Amino acid sequence: MRFFDLVGLILYNLNRRKGRVALTAVGVIIGTAAVVVLVSLAAGLQKNATSQLYGISDLTNIEVYPGYSMGDSQGMAVAVGGGGGKQMPDMQLLTPSTISDIEAIPGVKQVIPQDYLQLGIDMVYGKLHSYGNVIGLDTDDLSNMGLTASQGVTSLAKGTIVIGSWVTRNFYDPKARPNDPPVEPPDLLGQSVKFVLSKWSADGVEVKKTVTLKVVGVLNETRGMSDGSIYLPLSEVTAWNEWSRGTRINRNKEGYSMLNVRAESVDVTTDIADAINALGYQANTPQSYVEGINSFFMVLQVIFGGVGAIALLVAAIGIANTMTMAILERTREIGLMKAVGATNKDVLSIFLGEAAGIGFLGGLGGVLIGWGGSAILNVVALSYYASQVSQQGGLVPSMATSTPFWLPVFALGFATVIGLLSGLYPALHAASLVPVNALKYE
Amino acid sequence: MPKEFAVELQDLRKVYPMGDTEVVALDNVNLQIEKGSFTVVMGPSGSGKSTLLYLIGGLDWPTSGMIKVWDAVVDRMDENTLANFRRNRVGFIFQSFNLLATMPADENVAFPMRFSGAKPAERVMRSRALLEQVGLGDRALHKPTELSGGQQQRVAIARALIHDPPLILADEPTGNLDSTSGYSIMQLLSELHKTGKTVLVVTHDSRMQQFATNTIYLLDGRIVTPEEFKNATDVSRLEKQTQEG
Ligand SMILES: Nc1ncnc2c1ncn2[C@@H]1O[C@H](COP(=O)(O)OP(=O)(O)OP(=O)(O)O)[C@@H](O)[C@H]1O
Ligand SMILES: [Mg+2]
Repeated sequence: MRFFDLVGLILYNLNRRKGRVALTAVGVIIGTAAVVVLVSLAAGLQKNATSQLYGISDLTNIEVYPGYSMGDSQGMAVAVGGGGGKQMPDMQLLTPSTISDIEAIPGVKQVIPQDYLQLGIDMVYGKLHSYGNVIGLDTDDLSNMGLTASQGVTSLAKGTIVIGSWVTRNFYDPKARPNDPPVEPPDLLGQSVKFVLSKWSADGVEVKKTVTLKVVGVLNETRGMSDGSIYLPLSEVTAWNEWSRGTRINRNKEGYSMLNVRAESVDVTTDIADAINALGYQANTPQSYVEGINSFFMVLQVIFGGVGAIALLVAAIGIANTMTMAILERTREIGLMKAVGATNKDVLSIFLGEAAGIGFLGGLGGVLIGWGGSAILNVVALSYYASQVSQQGGLVPSMATSTPFWLPVFALGFATVIGLLSGLYPALHAASLVPVNALKYE
Repeated sequence: MPKEFAVELQDLRKVYPMGDTEVVALDNVNLQIEKGSFTVVMGPSGSGKSTLLYLIGGLDWPTSGMIKVWDAVVDRMDENTLANFRRNRVGFIFQSFNLLATMPADENVAFPMRFSGAKPAERVMRSRALLEQVGLGDRALHKPTELSGGQQQRVAIARALIHDPPLILADEPTGNLDSTSGYSIMQLLSELHKTGKTVLVVTHDSRMQQFATNTIYLLDGRIVTPEEFKNATDVSRLEKQTQEG
């Protein structure tokens, strides 16, 4: 039997049982559509999560923390790395010599030391008070950290601060009564704010110090750490910390709390992080989060796809049932086909083809509906997100669902194979019928 | 010059196991059918006529014995050769026509060509010509439900001729028809015989014998002489009458 004749007869047979083929295909349509929509949803969530992570911190940044030594060899490294200062054998400090070590690693563009303010702070603007995460960075411009300003500049200088996008929202009026309207976030650019620093002296008296600083820049929203941070030059923060404890800080002996290592490109980020880890420090990259998130979403896709696949398996039972019924009804026809010269292989091919055809048609419908459904879901979910964002703030996600190009092809192929497999047993039965028995069948 | 045989059967047996017992449908049948003959197979119900026809047509397998059609040994054939044999060497005609209800007459006639790979143009030409030959030239696009029983059997005969087989096997072709249309089917088969086909017809209708060159009598799976057949059927008729009386 020629292929063209085979396909023709399969299509003819499917066509003359339109109603039943359609009903059986509905099961496949639902299953395939479920696979497409659910996997698209998982893929969309993944893209969203990773793209938002790209926004939080660009992937060329590596955060380096002091290393905690595990054994003797690292203890010796401390002695060397610490420049002969006071030894802390269980801790590998981030000293100035560490910075030069890291700067020597290929692909490192810049190393920016960072420290936190280690005392209480009250930020005052008129009658409003606020708080924030005060960060001292040893760089003259925050653009070196990949940060951009929505207002003003990103440069750090003595007597000025650059604030994150949410800092102004933290302002509150300590004298406000419960029913007062909430405080409008003030526009701080170019304004002076007072920082009230406080410490406790040895005899238990609270000592306060007020510093007036000018806001020269407001950062763009990153949905990350920077949004709630107040940036100052590192020297300023160091000076306040020294005032707080009453002694000078020796970076050679105490190190920095953290280093921001800037890589020249995303490609070398993980290599640099590995090299830094090999030196005995702790290097964190957003890249590793991205990889973690990716593998989580892979699992999610498999689970979602599995749910759809179960729906398809149920549909497969429907196809098997339809084919079994069809073969019972068409037993005499099978007998006739054999009597006029159809081989067993012909009969097998015809019925397998019909089963696969139902799977294919259902798969086609399911892919189209799933595709359309994903697109609709995208629009609905995005407008929902957008309304949420306008109320609560935040970034609008770029997508809710994302259909990878391989998914429709795979789903269609899968549905067809499911159809083929469900038809296997009935078709084998049909092919093995003895012609005379088939012809006598009532 | 020795006679040439279209069909040769040697010690042909067909036994159906029925639980503990066996039903012997054909019991050591030896038979030769000459090429170009018109043979009628007669016998009471259950005597094994259909079984004989299906075995010759390669639609069933014998329990033992040999079936030779022209030079082909049917009982030794593998599946594919057998399919090829059924397609090209024999044309089968059934009591119940076995037409595909959804296909018009011409497509029913051309149906076997779907398995032989004939060209579409050839299918149309051949099916139209055959419908013309069986007197249904104007019914090519009618579905079986739009045709009378006699017309349906003509379509089935045209279908049996599509690959121009030398042997026509017909199992009670007039069994579902009234006597007039049954008689015209017999005439049609006789015409085929005159064009050189070897025709083997199982029938209960003794009018068929006027077209026949040979008659075979079957009793309980065995071939018997006309006398034995006459006696036996007379006896059974007598028995029946005494029982009823
Ligand atoms: N598939 C089968 N299984 C068991 N017994 C069968 C089978 N097919 C036929 N037989 C038996 O074989 C014998 C011959 O059957 P066959 O159909 O050849 O008879 P027949 O001469 O064609 O009768 P009729 O004139 O009624 O068509 C019968 O006794 C029948 O019961
Ligand atoms: Mg019979």
